[in-house]
Amino acid sequence: MVSSISLSIDSDLDKVSLLARAVRALCEDLLSPDDQDAVELSLVEAINNVIKHGYHGERGKDVQVAVGLQADQVVIEIIDHAPPMPPQVLDSTSEDAFTFDETDIANIPEGGMGLALIRMNMDEVEYRSSESENRLRMVKRIVPLS
Amino acid sequence: MLSTDLRDNVLVVRVEEKRIDASKAPAFKDEMTRCIEAGQNQIVLDLSQVDFIDSSGLGALVSCLKRLGPRGSLAVAGATGAVSRLFTLTRMDRVFALHQSVDSAVEQLSA
Repeated sequence: MVSSISLSIDSDLDKVSLLARAVRALCEDLLSPDDQDAVELSLVEAINNVIKHGYHGERGKDVQVAVGLQADQVVIEIIDHAPPMPPQVLDSTSEDAFTFDETDIANIPEGGMGLALIRMNMDEVEYRSSESENRLRMVKRIVPLS
Repeated sequence: MLSTDLRDNVLVVRVEEKRIDASKAPAFKDEMTRCIEAGQNQIVLDLSQVDFIDSSGLGALVSCLKRLGPRGSLAVAGATGAVSRLFTLTRMDRVFALHQSVDSAVEQLSA
């Protein structure tokens, strides 16, 4: 079974939940509830990043999501036409975001967690930029029911 | 998006939304800030109606905790599923006291 679908929204934070719910529904029969949570969170974080940091909150720009449902994995690609993510953002490792001292309230992070969460929740994450577009590819493997 | 109830000098703030995401986080933070600036510093946040929080929503919670200052407390009640999982993943379960029920959270803060 291989099928794919493309969805798109305007770069408006109010519309992200529509896409998230749609993609979650597509994964319902393939992934466990925990893995559906993981995919939904990763998708939301990725799109928020595109809208907030890529398009700087400007509406009217396009955000496309391609979902591929394969026999052994779900592949989600987020495609945008914003300036690419800076390399230093991509280089930071996912653990860094959450190694804070919980007794030092003033320094507990309020942001910068998105990419780290995506890396923790997906099995593969790859970011590619070309002249025409940026593409974040995220893969969640399907764990067969035992 | 919030409803409030004062119990034993503890303000119980119930989130009446299913999602606290990047589109809702600013309004959530504003409403919470108004509660805090009105003088409430023992707060239980009831998340039992919430089934999704993203990192923007979580950031807003952290911001409220900072606003409360050292004499304040912000406990979380009723976090389940994806919401509870997010607290664990981000290690924010070490920052916020997580309670299964509003009653147990109120009991702890009012003690």
